[in-house]
Amino acid sequence: MTDSDRKVDFGFEKVAPKEKAARVRAVFTSVAGRYDLMNDLMSFGAHRLWKRFALSLTGLRPGQSALDVAGGTGDLTLGLLRQVGREGRVILSDINPSMLEVGRDRLLDSGFAGNVECIVADAERLPFADNSFDCVTIGFGLRNVTDKAAALASMYRVLKSGGQLLVLEFSTPVAPGLKPLYDAYSFGVLPRLGRLVAHDAASYRYLAESIRTHPNQEALLEMLRSAGFGLARYHNLAGGIVALHRGYKI
Amino acid sequence: MPATPAWLASVEALLNRSIGQSMRATAAARRLNNTSLQIDIEGVYALRATVSAERLALMADAESEANAVISGSPWALIELLTGGVKSAGGANAEGRPSTQIRGDAEIANRYRELFALARPDFEEELSRWTGDVPARRLSQFARAAFSWLRDGARTARENIAEYLQEESRDLVNRAELEEFLLGVDQSREMADRIEIRLARLERQIKGTA
Repeated sequence: MTDSDRKVDFGFEKVAPKEKAARVRAVFTSVAGRYDLMNDLMSFGAHRLWKRFALSLTGLRPGQSALDVAGGTGDLTLGLLRQVGREGRVILSDINPSMLEVGRDRLLDSGFAGNVECIVADAERLPFADNSFDCVTIGFGLRNVTDKAAALASMYRVLKSGGQLLVLEFSTPVAPGLKPLYDAYSFGVLPRLGRLVAHDAASYRYLAESIRTHPNQEALLEMLRSAGFGLARYHNLAGGIVALHRGYKI
Repeated sequence: MPATPAWLASVEALLNRSIGQSMRATAAARRLNNTSLQIDIEGVYALRATVSAERLALMADAESEANAVISGSPWALIELLTGGVKSAGGANAEGRPSTQIRGDAEIANRYRELFALARPDFEEELSRWTGDVPARRLSQFARAAFSWLRDGARTARENIAEYLQEESRDLVNRAELEEFLLGVDQSREMADRIEIRLARLERQIKGTA
């Protein structure tokens, strides 16, 4: 199979890799303005707790450096900045300029400048030197990446030895009886909510579909190990609706 | 590999913060680099502690074999790992050791030292959320409450024991028990002596007959 024949998932559709990148960009350009509000509405505010939990595990100390990949509107970046302090450095990167613009404004409005940079970057080809960061985070971004293995390899490359990767992502519910409720909510309620609040039902249908095609907990754990991460493991949150995967560059 | 519970990740983060703040704990972690300890909490849970790059990782039971395995009841393990006792051993009510170590005992002992050194300062942790003054007040209140509960439990235990020993006479007190056991020992010795004398007397009677 030639590269041009290769198909990747875009929700439940199979599309060419280039088309996926363009369509994901269009989805996030469309929802950028209402992204934070929609996150709060869709998760009933729980995304803040999930992100806080991820931040509690970074192990960052003042003066260290961190990279927030696909950081969008900068939720994790804000927490990382508080952890590394004025002497530390945080980079917020996203492939989508519209999302990054919202994130940059939010960081400035929160009083952070000087030790934070906002960079448009593709997670599969991060434009940073090897061994640059003590911690790399990617929150609800990996499932939108076309080549996840390449993105994990790229994040491994930019981590310092002993540095940690944290992947916060929707996953497969494991709590008994949760799956049918979750399916009903994500395919029935989310698109309607998207149409009402962000005036874009299709983007939120894509969100629900992309979660179903994303690797489950064990598959993603194996991908982390294949990328070279040591001590790789995961924590289920909200009965497995979300999972936090982590691994170290050892 | 099963999911590692989120609470275990929070405990790990807490311990790693303490390790990072203490030079002695960091040195202890350095000595344990690339080693692992399996902790079997009898009837409750099994977890794996691993140190890599001076950082402690706590995981759900892993597939590979650990350098050392330590097992015991929850309270015995807490006492052992937080420095309440200096080594494994002691015995439970059935006479079995309360904690058991298999594999490399030296590594198990170093982990015990690391856990004792990494014991979190809860007042400091609380102050990260509430600020110094409320954290001080809250920890003083918690200490006083804990002390009150501990004293209350001790007094209740003593009162119940006294009632059962002195009033209802369902149990004997230690002094009475020791006196009884001493009496049993003395009776046994006397019986032994009488038995020997009788045997000697028997031999004498048989000799004269």
